[in-house]
Amino acid sequence: MTSQAETAGGVGPQHQSRTLAYLVVAGLLAILTAMEVWASYIHALRPILVPLLVVLSGAKFALVVLFYMHLHYDSWTFSAIFLPALLIAVIVVISLVALMVRFFAGF
Amino acid sequence: MVALPKEITVEESYLEGGGLWGWLTTTDHKRIGVLYGLTTLVFLLIGGIEALLMRIQLARPDNTFLSAHLYNEMFTMHGTTMIFLVVMPVGLGFFANFIVPLQIGARDVAFPRLNALSYWIFLFGALVLNAGWLANVAPNAGWFGYANLTESYYSPGLNIDFWTLGLLISGVGSVMAAVNLLATVINMRAPGMTFMRMPLFVWSVMVMFVLILVAFPPLTVGLIFLMMDRFFGTHFYRAVAGATPLLWQHLFWLFGHPEVYIMVLPAFGIMSEIVPTFSRKPLYGYPVMAYSTALIGFLSYGVWAHHMFAVGMGPVADSAFALTSMLIAIPTGIKIFSWIATMWGGDLKMKTPFLFALAFLIQFTMGGLSGVMHAQPPIDLQQTDSYFVVAHFHYVLFGGAAFALLGGLYYWWPKVTGRLLDERLGRWNFWTIVIGFNLTFFPMHIMGAEGMPRRVYRYPGDMGLNSLNMLSTIGAFLMAFSVLILLINIYKTRRRGAVAGPDPWDGRTLEWSIPSPPPAYNFKNIPLVRARDAFWREKYGYEQPPTAAPAPAAAQAVEHIHMPPPSLYPILIAAGITMTGIGFMLWPRIVVTGLVLTVFSAIAMAFEYPEAGAESEASIGPATGLDTRKVGIWCFIGSESLFFASLIATYMIYKGRDLVGPTAETILNVPLTTTTTFVLLMSSLTMVLAQDAYRRTDRTWGLRWLFVTIVLGLIFLGGQVYEFASFYHEGLTLQTNLFGETFYTMVGFHGAHVAIGVIVLAVLAGASLAGWFKVRNRDVAVEAAALYWHFVDIVWVVIFSVVYLMRAIAKA
Repeated sequence: MTSQAETAGGVGPQHQSRTLAYLVVAGLLAILTAMEVWASYIHALRPILVPLLVVLSGAKFALVVLFYMHLHYDSWTFSAIFLPALLIAVIVVISLVALMVRFFAGF
Repeated sequence: MVALPKEITVEESYLEGGGLWGWLTTTDHKRIGVLYGLTTLVFLLIGGIEALLMRIQLARPDNTFLSAHLYNEMFTMHGTTMIFLVVMPVGLGFFANFIVPLQIGARDVAFPRLNALSYWIFLFGALVLNAGWLANVAPNAGWFGYANLTESYYSPGLNIDFWTLGLLISGVGSVMAAVNLLATVINMRAPGMTFMRMPLFVWSVMVMFVLILVAFPPLTVGLIFLMMDRFFGTHFYRAVAGATPLLWQHLFWLFGHPEVYIMVLPAFGIMSEIVPTFSRKPLYGYPVMAYSTALIGFLSYGVWAHHMFAVGMGPVADSAFALTSMLIAIPTGIKIFSWIATMWGGDLKMKTPFLFALAFLIQFTMGGLSGVMHAQPPIDLQQTDSYFVVAHFHYVLFGGAAFALLGGLYYWWPKVTGRLLDERLGRWNFWTIVIGFNLTFFPMHIMGAEGMPRRVYRYPGDMGLNSLNMLSTIGAFLMAFSVLILLINIYKTRRRGAVAGPDPWDGRTLEWSIPSPPPAYNFKNIPLVRARDAFWREKYGYEQPPTAAPAPAAAQAVEHIHMPPPSLYPILIAAGITMTGIGFMLWPRIVVTGLVLTVFSAIAMAFEYPEAGAESEASIGPATGLDTRKVGIWCFIGSESLFFASLIATYMIYKGRDLVGPTAETILNVPLTTTTTFVLLMSSLTMVLAQDAYRRTDRTWGLRWLFVTIVLGLIFLGGQVYEFASFYHEGLTLQTNLFGETFYTMVGFHGAHVAIGVIVLAVLAGASLAGWFKVRNRDVAVEAAALYWHFVDIVWVVIFSVVYLMRAIAKA
């Protein structure tokens, strides 16, 4: 939703809050990346590394999609286009890997 | 070259005016539909001749009419042609292109020049596919192109290269068409045309567009791997390097089974138009039919491995895919019963389109039932690679899809040309093709059960199959005769056929409310939709008072309708892409010329139209209020997700299967990549700030942030070049091991996406400097570029985690 001040080319309060949100998201992305890299070097975390990295990179993914790609602000139609495709992509990766790993392992 | 929007001043048919140049540069969806239709007709004849030659060869045992080599080429090209160049494009390019805008009350598709580009790319891809015939090197490894038969060791000639390149090029055209038409359905419906008021044909093809977007990327990735194996010596499908040819089968059938529904869904849609019209009743169970269509689309993506029961995937996988394969019969059965219920008690008009619909119902059900039979792995093992399967899929795709498409041709021909096809010849066409079809393919059930294998060019005379094979060949020639009757009908009625008038069938949907053939702008005034079967209700009144309608759009006088201008650039871009591909295969020196032609034509096309990007009624959806360009880019991003998913899955599958080093754990430079990852993430921040600035019309800051984003993108690319160079010096080449080939391919394709993003941003920065953004609402161009940029960023978030941070995890 674009405010009247923004459409007129001015800098409205909504715009300021969005800029702040963009900066906060950038900070979070940096922190999450640092956490990911740190975790990958810690040997003790090796048993839970995969789920941990899935959560951390999933959080980064969600932040970019929601705030920088504006799914949080925009029409639900765009989410309805993207999210099913994303779901199918995830299912494809999981099923292909599962099928092939079982195949290599001799079922 | 600057083209001005074409201003319509007189009510002329879309077929009139322009001459040959007008057809070459057309952006009118109806003309493009006709071009698709004519092209597919030519390829139908070519594919049909290939089938006849095969049937002549098989008419007698131990026949010598065709050599084994030629027979291989015939069955490969027959399958490839009929699937990729006939049935799919006639549904997508002809019927959907022509009919969808008319049924949803739109004046054209969302992106008219992209529509033209899709057609030209499809045509050039089709020509490349068939170019092998000229040098006697036509593709010869089957339409499924199984690895490792397609590897250069087993197929050293150019045959497979023509096949791979032709499919890659025409596939790009199909994805573009699907993005365009999906954006059209989502965003360009007339006011009041809710999803639950859309004609079932639009519902069906909408699901088909989605399927194309999610099914083609795995095939594209599979074909890229195949090309890399053949041209660069990688080992994506070579067991000797620790890989497996089974990967090709998964990637291919991930596309291949949804492809069956990509071909059948338009047929379902046509059935749902013909049956109510000729039964003079509303479609029975509309909501359930709509939901069934969506469910078929979803389930069709989860059944691919039933084509692979015979490879030995294990009982768990076999059971899972058997279950999903049987489940899909439920929504399909719902459709069959709904069509029967629609006819029940109806005032049936036995016209040619309805006859084809009736035949579809019976023959498709037969094909579906034999499909349920080999959805069971034990039975499938008996039927695999036998003529039983040939009979099954011809009952589905010919007796089903092609019959409905023929019915659709008779049904909408008056709308396309303004003249009716001759009814008497239509009946001759129908009965000869029904008899010919069943004579050809029904005996194949018995032949398959008796043990006749597929893809053999001759058989011994003592198998008891001689008479059945002869019967099959006679049936094939009867079908050829039937096609000849259709051609005579088209020729005869071309000038002297009965004038159809706007509504020859007493139709139900909006296309019958406008003249036949339609004017270039389709609708003088954008219609207001107040109920399902909108035109029928307008003619015969509403059973119940119509629901509250949106405010009517201001009536537009015909002299102020602006239609998209013609453009030469689509054909130039398609030529550039084809040149690049052919150069890659045969003459490397023309690769650069092709790339330059593609890039410059694309940029020229983007700025060709003086009003491009400006605020206009055409860019805002009347039903949704959304910008069509944003809808289009989101559809494209959805498809790209599947492209990268296929690459990432391959990396994970082959992880830890290297026979020699270096591997991820020993070679990856995490500190360097962490830095470049941070740079790319920050480029998303600067990109969104640029987008925000342009939205506020603050072009100064917008341009600054745009430049910063470009610089950050270049730094990321520089880091990637450095990384690749250092790996190369450390002994990791594209051919070294599975890690090398999957890493370079996946990361390389991501880098190519970043590079394209940088070029797009640089073009936008140049446009900004030239004052292009001074026109209102052009900031959407930056927003579309930003969406693409952020998408590339999130793909890297995943790759960084999977490749670099999970480097120490031994296997997937």
